[in-house]
Amino acid sequence: MSTLAIDKAGPSRQVKHGSISRDRAWALRWSYFFLILFSIMALTPPLYMVITSLKSSAEISAATNPWWVFHPTLSNYKELLGSSQYLRFFLNSAMVSVFVVVITMLISVPAAFALSRMKFWGSATLATGVFLTYLIPDSLLFLPLFKMFAVIGDWTGIQLINRWYVLLFIYPTLTVPFCTWIMIGYFASIPKELDEAAIIDGASWLQTLTRIFIPVALPGLIAATIFAFTVSWSQFLYPMVFTTSTDQLVLPVGIVTTLIKGDVFNWGQIMTGALLGAAPPLIIYAFLMDYYIAGLTAGATKG
Amino acid sequence: MVDVAVQPNRIAPARPAARKSGLKTALKRKSTTAFLMTLPLILLIGILVVYPALYSLHLATLNKSMHKFVGFGNFIFLFKRDTFWLVVKQSCIFALTAVFFKVLLGFIVAHFVHNVPANKQRRWRGMLLVPWVIPPAMSTLAWLWLFDPSYSAFNYTLSLFGIGPVPWLGDANWARFSVILVNVWYGAPFFLIMYLAALKSVPEQLYEAAAIDGANWWQRIWFVTLPMMRNIIAITTLFSLIVTFANFDIVRILTSGGPLDHTHLFATWAFKLGIESGDIPLGASVSLFMFPILAIAAIFILRDVTKRGNEA
Amino acid sequence: MSRRKLTRRQFVAATAATSAALITAPYVRGAYAAGKVSIGFWDHWVPGANSASTELCKEWGEKEKVDVEIDYITSQGNKNLVTIAAEAQAQSGHDIFQMPTWWCHSNSELMEPLNDIMDPIIKENGEVNDTVKYLGQLDGKWMGVPACVGSQIKGPCSRIDLMKKYAGIDVQEMYPAGAPPKADNWTTDAFLKAAEACHKGGYPFGIGLGETSDNVDAAGAFFRAFGAQLVDAKGNVTVKTDEVRQVLDYYKRLIAFLPPDVAAWDDASNNKWLVAGKGAMIMNPPSAWAVAKRDAPQVAEQCWTHGFPVGPKGRFAPFLPFFWSIWTFSKNKEAAKSLLVHLSKPSSIEKMVNASGGYDLPAFEKLTTLKVWAEAEPPKGTLFHYPDPYKQQVMSIAAAPAPPKIAQQIYFQATQTKMCLRYAQGEKMEDTLAWAEGECEGFLRS
Repeated sequence: MSTLAIDKAGPSRQVKHGSISRDRAWALRWSYFFLILFSIMALTPPLYMVITSLKSSAEISAATNPWWVFHPTLSNYKELLGSSQYLRFFLNSAMVSVFVVVITMLISVPAAFALSRMKFWGSATLATGVFLTYLIPDSLLFLPLFKMFAVIGDWTGIQLINRWYVLLFIYPTLTVPFCTWIMIGYFASIPKELDEAAIIDGASWLQTLTRIFIPVALPGLIAATIFAFTVSWSQFLYPMVFTTSTDQLVLPVGIVTTLIKGDVFNWGQIMTGALLGAAPPLIIYAFLMDYYIAGLTAGATKG
Repeated sequence: MVDVAVQPNRIAPARPAARKSGLKTALKRKSTTAFLMTLPLILLIGILVVYPALYSLHLATLNKSMHKFVGFGNFIFLFKRDTFWLVVKQSCIFALTAVFFKVLLGFIVAHFVHNVPANKQRRWRGMLLVPWVIPPAMSTLAWLWLFDPSYSAFNYTLSLFGIGPVPWLGDANWARFSVILVNVWYGAPFFLIMYLAALKSVPEQLYEAAAIDGANWWQRIWFVTLPMMRNIIAITTLFSLIVTFANFDIVRILTSGGPLDHTHLFATWAFKLGIESGDIPLGASVSLFMFPILAIAAIFILRDVTKRGNEA
Repeated sequence: MSRRKLTRRQFVAATAATSAALITAPYVRGAYAAGKVSIGFWDHWVPGANSASTELCKEWGEKEKVDVEIDYITSQGNKNLVTIAAEAQAQSGHDIFQMPTWWCHSNSELMEPLNDIMDPIIKENGEVNDTVKYLGQLDGKWMGVPACVGSQIKGPCSRIDLMKKYAGIDVQEMYPAGAPPKADNWTTDAFLKAAEACHKGGYPFGIGLGETSDNVDAAGAFFRAFGAQLVDAKGNVTVKTDEVRQVLDYYKRLIAFLPPDVAAWDDASNNKWLVAGKGAMIMNPPSAWAVAKRDAPQVAEQCWTHGFPVGPKGRFAPFLPFFWSIWTFSKNKEAAKSLLVHLSKPSSIEKMVNASGGYDLPAFEKLTTLKVWAEAEPPKGTLFHYPDPYKQQVMSIAAAPAPPKIAQQIYFQATQTKMCLRYAQGEKMEDTLAWAEGECEGFLRS
């Protein structure tokens, strides 16, 4: 009942009447100020990539103002997009990412369905186990995997090192656990009445999954797909270890190891390569930002 | 098909004794289907995650040419090397510092975004998440060029103010700073998004009540926001500790382990020893050393997750 | 669940075979191997130099009706070394690989003996120098054919104007084009004085102290100039000797006159330093000059490549040979050998050296007087002394004469540059030596 004591106990408060709206106005101004500051910090490197990509190597070596292009040129873009080597990297990245997304979805979705709906012996342990494997980092696994694949290649005569399709086996270890986790969250939030209704109507498990769950959890599926694609596209360590011939490389490794070469002023091309390499995730992000973010937050808030 | 009408969740515990008879067929069908559906997942994790992790234990006990068993020989060798302890120290410092700043920055900026009217938030969120969307290998290249000893754009700008060229990657301490900076730049947006979502779920009434009781902004954060967000902060922090601890891309591209091995982390050093120097067992030993630290973090996460599960 | 009690081997093999077979069926190596040779060449630092080797290989391929596949692999970021290590582990990869310096020895069990083609090549082209024998031969077995491509001397490349103005040294007079060098006064002490003067003048020498080969070679040459050996030829660790102490002291004084971030320099940093016009000297083969010709002609005009300073124990120049080797797991050794013979013909060698603008140094005695070095310009005579035509220097390589497998690790782990850095940054001499001794003992492991 201390309504009269609304006024200031704390020493930091000053204004009394209309204090809330004026406080909020100041808070808003400060917020915008810092947001602009942080946006500049966030966007400077990508912007710098764009600026450098428009420079020729003569301009770069001339060491003029690095933040401005005096003689913009599209030659870097033309060279890269016409270079069969770079296009090969792009193609490899695209193939790997698309296949991995398909494989991931084929593994994750049924597994998530089974784990969230069909409680069977060990399902809880398995679900936590899936979550835990996500914590085993790739930097622990790359050496034994490398040796394993070399050994298998020895026994069976099938070339498993230095081939892009080897990555199709390995990337799912990175994408499947998290995608399963996301999907379990989404599936768990679907009301049980839906599947009970389906079962009463005589649907089998498979039909329940495909006719009901997938359409209803479509946002979750899209989020998981985006996640799987982005992770596959950006991978660096595994392709670095498993692929070495130029025609087998994917984009991140290709750019870092072949564009940075003896010709020391190749930075215009390197930045162009990096920018083009970052384009697919950026484009997906630009168009599907909400799904992207939903995928990220789903793991934590929905699980 | 009538058997399918039974509630799916209650079959297994409901009739333990009758499992072996009667409904055996139905049970088999359901749990078999469930098992088949999860089989690819189990196989994937078993063969490509669990098995290699165990295999690395075996590898770590071999000698360099992998023909002889040397037991703990590799570990004893590592313990005597200064570089090894340097890597341990650096990995811990790197992970703790970077995660601390990522959490702090993410938390602070989330508040700013939250303050902005809701319809404008989307564009700020969009701009601020860009560092996380760009593949880290690509953005690190941009940073590498920004830090270049001869052509650094930062040094150019600083020179306009008369500040001498900074050896971003050349001096051990600056190199550590640069690596942490890039990691924070890359990772903070993730935290921003998570905390923003969590902030939205804190009920407005709590803040209003606190304001009525005379709390200033700091007290509001301490007594309202932080307790409500404790779980999400804990989970994201622990997740990030593990991921940052095992980081490879940024250090590899920026410094390859840095001046005099002063920015080496477990992953980059294991790569150098295992792949570049061709001593796979030694590299595996280094990688394995991450495991105890990761396991402790995992136990904490697990405890927190089950606690959260119980609370929810 | 009894199905998981299969032995690991069976399970892994079965699953791998099944799934891999499905995807890899079209890629399994089959009978095509007979008509194909794949080569991993080193990606040249001189713009456009790769084209010569491509043409020569294509020419040979057309004549012999063999499919030639070429990969150009850069040494930046140790990409070529990582590739070698991966191919050695996987026991599969290219047929021919261009092995830098030590790597024939470090993969000696997988190197096909090439004595049958080396003997006729030596007869035709002349003898090879000792460093090439040290790095390319194991117990009389040739593990690779010395490649001219990429073989280089990493000697000083100075700015004529800056050296004259600040250090008072006329490099053109010291190493005149077309005449023997007058470099008796070009000692390590004179070098240090010049470094100090140029540092004061604002154009320091760009001598890196990172872990890549440019940096290691420069340090190695100074070590040899002082007679300092970390591991001697018999394999004994000789770190705690006076010569090592002397060279560490020397380097400590030198580092004071170098740019502040040399500890992070890679192989491209010194090139950039010279081309940006920031330094008076770097230790590099002519690739930096070649890039300057294209991107900064006013700098290129002032470049002069010359010899190394003489130290207490002699004048040593860092010589880095590459070798073309054939892996033992290659499926087409005969064709590969024939290609190597083709690439080692004098006409082929001359073509490649010309395409590299004089960067490439043939390892054979009879081929050290090609015209390209006398004629390279601007300025005229800039490369005359690059191949050391008057044999003033002893060709050596960092960490020699230690046993190659040990020396390779000293080289690759950059122990010498690290020692110099540690001591210069304030560590006590005895601590640095103790650390280096520990490192070398580690290298003796097998």
